[in-house]
Amino acid sequence: MIRFVIKRLLLAIPTLWAVLTTVFLLVRVVPGDPTIVILGDQASAAARAELREKLGLAKPILAQYVDFMGQILTGDLGRSLATNRPIVDDVAAVLPYTIELTIASLIVGAVIGIPLGVWAAQSRDGFADWFARLFSLAGVSFPAFVSAILLLIVFAVELRWFPVISAPRTDALSERLAALVLPSLNLGLLMVAYVTRVTRSGMLKALGEDYTRTARSKGLAQRTIVWRHAFPNVLVPVVTVVGLYLGVLIGNAVLTEIVFNRPGIGKLIVTALNQRDYTLLQGLMVVSAFAIVVANILTDLTYGLVDPRVKTP
Amino acid sequence: MKRHLLAATALLFATLAPASAETILNVGMAAADVGQIDPHRATSTQDKPVVSWMFNGLVRFKPGSASLEAMEPDLAESWEKSADGKTWTFKLRKGVKFHGDWGEMTADDVVYSLKRAGDPKTSSFAADYAVMETIEAVDPSTVRIVLKKPIPALLGLVANYHGGNIVSKKAAEALGADFRTKPVGTGPFQVVDYKSNESLTFAANPAYFRGVPKIDKIVYRFIPADAARDLAFTSGELDVVYGRQDQRWVERFQKEPHTVVEVVKPAELSVLHLNTAMKPLDDKRVREAVAHAIDRAQLASFKGATTAVPAVSVVPTGYLGTDEKAKLYDYDLAKAKALLKEAGHPDGVAIKAIQTSLPTMLASMQVAQAQLKKAGIDLQLEVVDHQSFHAQIRKDLSGAVYYAAARFPVADVYLKQFYHSAATVGTPTAVTNFSHCAAADAEIDAASIEVDPVKQKELWKTAQKKIIDEVCAVPLFEQLQVWARKDTVDYGYKFEGAIHLGPVITEASTKK
Repeated sequence: MIRFVIKRLLLAIPTLWAVLTTVFLLVRVVPGDPTIVILGDQASAAARAELREKLGLAKPILAQYVDFMGQILTGDLGRSLATNRPIVDDVAAVLPYTIELTIASLIVGAVIGIPLGVWAAQSRDGFADWFARLFSLAGVSFPAFVSAILLLIVFAVELRWFPVISAPRTDALSERLAALVLPSLNLGLLMVAYVTRVTRSGMLKALGEDYTRTARSKGLAQRTIVWRHAFPNVLVPVVTVVGLYLGVLIGNAVLTEIVFNRPGIGKLIVTALNQRDYTLLQGLMVVSAFAIVVANILTDLTYGLVDPRVKTP
Repeated sequence: MKRHLLAATALLFATLAPASAETILNVGMAAADVGQIDPHRATSTQDKPVVSWMFNGLVRFKPGSASLEAMEPDLAESWEKSADGKTWTFKLRKGVKFHGDWGEMTADDVVYSLKRAGDPKTSSFAADYAVMETIEAVDPSTVRIVLKKPIPALLGLVANYHGGNIVSKKAAEALGADFRTKPVGTGPFQVVDYKSNESLTFAANPAYFRGVPKIDKIVYRFIPADAARDLAFTSGELDVVYGRQDQRWVERFQKEPHTVVEVVKPAELSVLHLNTAMKPLDDKRVREAVAHAIDRAQLASFKGATTAVPAVSVVPTGYLGTDEKAKLYDYDLAKAKALLKEAGHPDGVAIKAIQTSLPTMLASMQVAQAQLKKAGIDLQLEVVDHQSFHAQIRKDLSGAVYYAAARFPVADVYLKQFYHSAATVGTPTAVTNFSHCAAADAEIDAASIEVDPVKQKELWKTAQKKIIDEVCAVPLFEQLQVWARKDTVDYGYKFEGAIHLGPVITEASTKK
């Protein structure tokens, strides 16, 4: 298994290299100038040219690329152009929030989505099925920023159960949890929608299989048939969807983090983009790309756990 | 089990309860993150208010005012100027301490700060300080400034604004690049914590020379999403919030319970700069047609009766030297069409404009676009994101440039940055002269060294007339700043103006 992980990580190197090169080129193709952010809109052209020189932005693009790659190889993400802080510090400050939010929304997705899908499949075209389908359709179609505002109005402004500003002020567990509930619910609802759909269709197929009929003919209880015989067969597609949608979650986390005013990688990416903070943006892309690679490896490893037919690599 | 549950509940409540009875002021700002809080670098809207909490100048704008006429002593107790207006001597207040352990403020710090403000490597306002010939410490509590020439508002340069903020020499030298995020001043509050993309926290300066601030802590939160910021204010998580320059916002918040909405100066002047070096705008008749086709009153009423007024000149109203009665072009569609015909464009013209996607600016430009359409002028907007907009308009790529700005309240600054040929975009000394205007260079230069205030105002008036006549720019409307606070917050003064674009939190500010 360790060999598998190492092999996969090595295979990820070309992927990461491609991502980094694309990001490096993209941020420089987009018009904009970090010196306007740093020096303000009253600075003269000469002052801006001097700063560009100092920041290394006046060098030929190839030289900048070599510098950048050299830096990455030594494991150094560099310093932010706008704030001059080490990028590692900025990332380390917000990464726990993003991981927390992603895991919490995955849990919301699984805890609500799987039972809902199973329930729907058991009463095909019945009330439960219609309800689940409608619910998941709404989940997929509702933009994250609209559901976020609705959640805030109901639970934070009217009921005052949770804060509007979902950035915990202290590290107290209670505060961290309170600040996590609404954002993870918002992001989790999207996950619920996908998980419900996949579970439902997988269960429909499994419930029509020969082994289910055999189990029924043995006189087993419905509960046993569903959870012990049919359900394990649905886990592989569910895990696939969860793995795939980790990327979608990271994308939607941007909106969720902004509306709930929660620190996180997504929000930082938007700031870096707005400020044309090339080095910070590059650093964040390295981290995001690496996170997706790791998520994919974890997904592959999970197959072996949920399905004995898949040999644990 | 029951006992465990009780203990756990007690623990939960213990962690929920506030640690002490500190007075914390929560301020919400419309930005994703801080820009620069080094006072000599802070130019963004979100940065300026916090600089005013941390720093002092030799003199200061009276809290709550944006007027040059309401200056009062700050770190200097008194000052005198020589008869020729070139030598200024300031007597400093004694016993003023910098934040933390950075020691007492002396003339050395003042000399260092003003020199720092004049160095383009460390300051964004260097050009304003180039006029200072020498800055020297006569003794630890006396500073002498000798100017190359007398200037209209020297006190403005040593006020608690932009380059006039006094920093600790020792701290700036010791902290190096870190000074950008941990600047050290003498103000009522000092920065103690920064959370990237989240907040800045300030603690009261217990050694503040005007007395210990009544507010213990300020948490300045960056909340870019408008709806989220408004909801956080409604739910009580914010005490003070940056308002939207939008009539409906003002009306809605005026109805909120326990809320005070304040609409304050300085006004940001929105101007349509016309590129006189680009076809078809190189023809003055076409520019005149544009000026006649713009309905300023309609634009102002579109922006809102409380928050906007029609522009009065090519310089914002209320500045020292603004011609408040400048003769602007009337709204006259027939004349506009006739001028176009005369210029050889009977079927109308097309003008390219690079435009920011920032919603408030885009909406105003779309109204202008609709107005121009009626005269047969097709304003073709190329909408790009805000940073691209800033970069592209400085490359001289746009026929018309819509720009909204407030500057130091002396006509000199605005005129030099927007209408002096030295500031023309595309040149090494470029600032923001998007129109290639050179109509009033002589008057602008003469006014900046004129010692007689009456003659100086006359020169500025002539400069404005020439710029208007040459139609370098069409002034549109002026927009005021909007802030809201809970009625439990008392700034300790009447909030009518904010040169720092936000409320100054002083030692006298309170929160019940």
